[in-house]
Amino acid sequence: MNQQPASPSPQTTVSLRSRVDLVIALCFFAIGLYLAISSGSFPAGVGPLPGPGFFPRVIGLCMVVLALWLLKETLAGKQVATFSIENRGPLIGALGLTFLYLIFWGSGLFTVRTAVFVALLLKLFNQSWKSALLVSVVLTFAVTLGFQFGLRLSLE
Amino acid sequence: MIPDLLAGLQAVFQLQVLFFLIAGVVLGLIFGALPGLTATMGIAVLTPLTFWVSAEQGLAMLLGIYCGAIPGGGIPAILMNIPGTPASIASTWDGYPLSQSGRAGLALGVNALFSLAGQWISILFLAVAAFPIANFALRFGPAEYFGLALFGISLMAGVSVGNATKGLLSGMLGLTLATVGLDPMTAFPRYTFGRSEFLDGISFIPVMIGLFGMAEVLSQISERHGQPQPLPQAMGRIWPGKSEWRQMSAPGLMGSAIGTLVGAIPAAGGDIASVIAWEQSRRISKRKKEFGKGSLEGLATTCAACNSAIGGAMTTMLTLGIPGDAPSAVLIGALLIHGLQPGPLLFRDRGDFIFTIVFIMLLAGLMVAIVGLAGAKPLARTLRIPDPWLWSGILVFAIVGSYALNNSVTDVWVMFFAGLFGFLCRKGNIPLGPLVLGLILGPMMESNLRRALILSRGDWTAVLSRPIVLFFLVATLLSLLWPFLRSASSLVKDKLRAKNSPPAH
Repeated sequence: MNQQPASPSPQTTVSLRSRVDLVIALCFFAIGLYLAISSGSFPAGVGPLPGPGFFPRVIGLCMVVLALWLLKETLAGKQVATFSIENRGPLIGALGLTFLYLIFWGSGLFTVRTAVFVALLLKLFNQSWKSALLVSVVLTFAVTLGFQFGLRLSLE
Repeated sequence: MIPDLLAGLQAVFQLQVLFFLIAGVVLGLIFGALPGLTATMGIAVLTPLTFWVSAEQGLAMLLGIYCGAIPGGGIPAILMNIPGTPASIASTWDGYPLSQSGRAGLALGVNALFSLAGQWISILFLAVAAFPIANFALRFGPAEYFGLALFGISLMAGVSVGNATKGLLSGMLGLTLATVGLDPMTAFPRYTFGRSEFLDGISFIPVMIGLFGMAEVLSQISERHGQPQPLPQAMGRIWPGKSEWRQMSAPGLMGSAIGTLVGAIPAAGGDIASVIAWEQSRRISKRKKEFGKGSLEGLATTCAACNSAIGGAMTTMLTLGIPGDAPSAVLIGALLIHGLQPGPLLFRDRGDFIFTIVFIMLLAGLMVAIVGLAGAKPLARTLRIPDPWLWSGILVFAIVGSYALNNSVTDVWVMFFAGLFGFLCRKGNIPLGPLVLGLILGPMMESNLRRALILSRGDWTAVLSRPIVLFFLVATLLSLLWPFLRSASSLVKDKLRAKNSPPAH
């Protein structure tokens, strides 16, 4: 017998949403604090004039205050952000392939690298081999023609 | 002014400029018509292609994309109930019911015609209002520019509907990114982490390509659900009848006026304009009940509003150097690459170029309407292109385009991480518009404040008590407090309503 997947209880959903905003608030708090502290190591301004650290310090302090405000709103339950990532497989696959494509940028022929990248990407999205190969060849040809020959940009 | 006007006209009617304009319009319509591909994405991804041509040719293509994508977004909104761009959200409310009732052709016709009306009215506003605004802005010194930038940044809170705190935080992050590189006054390196590539700051265009190109692709991959809706078989007539024209003209004009004004507000674009226009037209209409069920008035006003926001946004961008919306923010980057700094000085020194922009936009609007009317059916067919093909194409263009800027792999990595960050922001409901605004206005705010302080020998009161600065400071305070005042007023209203309502038995 098929079992229906259990839907998350309202309690779980609320706590998940709060957690996302909590993480966002803490991240901004950390960035703000870093800016405020690190700007202290910049040279001071001449006389009453502000130096290079003035602007980052003001931004950092504003960010800390706003992050604390967001934290307060989150804990009071006023901020609700949904954070659901579906289709994780294709998403992570696409990110991984793009990362690898960039890591190998500059090694081997651009046309071959790009054609392989596009074909694998399309296979990841459940396209048939025929259409994946066709689209990858056409796309690589168009990009090479436009950038390498049209704009005389070296892609190798 | 007349020699500038003639020079602008002459610059537009050159074969190469017209070729780039047509290419831009067609690309814009396709970008807009394909759900998920927005005007901002189109401009960001294709900006690198314009580096090797003249400013006029490059601008013709980018403005063609801008003017084409917004009406293009109305096509899937009408045929499939899916807005092609955020600006066409309100077009689904009446466009789709019209299409369902067998009048898809008429709805597409209204979209094309009232897009033209909206664009032309707002461009007229640009042509008439921009020069006096720019003349006034010529009186601005560093202190006034600081006040203006501060006010522009404060608007982040107001436009981040329901997310004022996150909007401000996003803007702060944009300001933070703007501090990377050499300090504008002392040339002291800040947050470069020892890398010489960051001494000039973080490249703006790769960040834009990442935030609006790659992030959008990642969002679409993560939200892909089943097969797209089928297109309607019967289109019917495209051209509206006499009585229909009469019915739609007033709401169309109203939408154009609202769109132009809303578009001129920094960071408020066509999406907000079209919703406001739809609501206002519904309020004054004699056929209120038809709104949301296939009203021609509703569709006309939303199409006019979201398109007229283009002229409004361009007015703010060109006269003050502050982007009216996300596409105009990317256009600032494109202009800077061609050595053109938007602001009042551009009007003084390159009046001919301003008229070139005006004529390009007028022509683009006309071309969009012609292609939209004559090619509505072929354009609808582009909706059948499989999403994965588009995603791969955009990813490759985003990568190669970012690299093409400076032949720099660092720029490609900046684009990649900006894309990943933009995707996470979308998922966490953090608006990206304020980040872009912060990134653009940050250097303007910092360098002008410090310049003003040098001129006043460090006297803050002398800087902040200047009349125009004071005006901007008050406006900043009001715009920051606006979301809180609004929620406080609705709280009071709710309490009063609860007090006055009879107790339940």
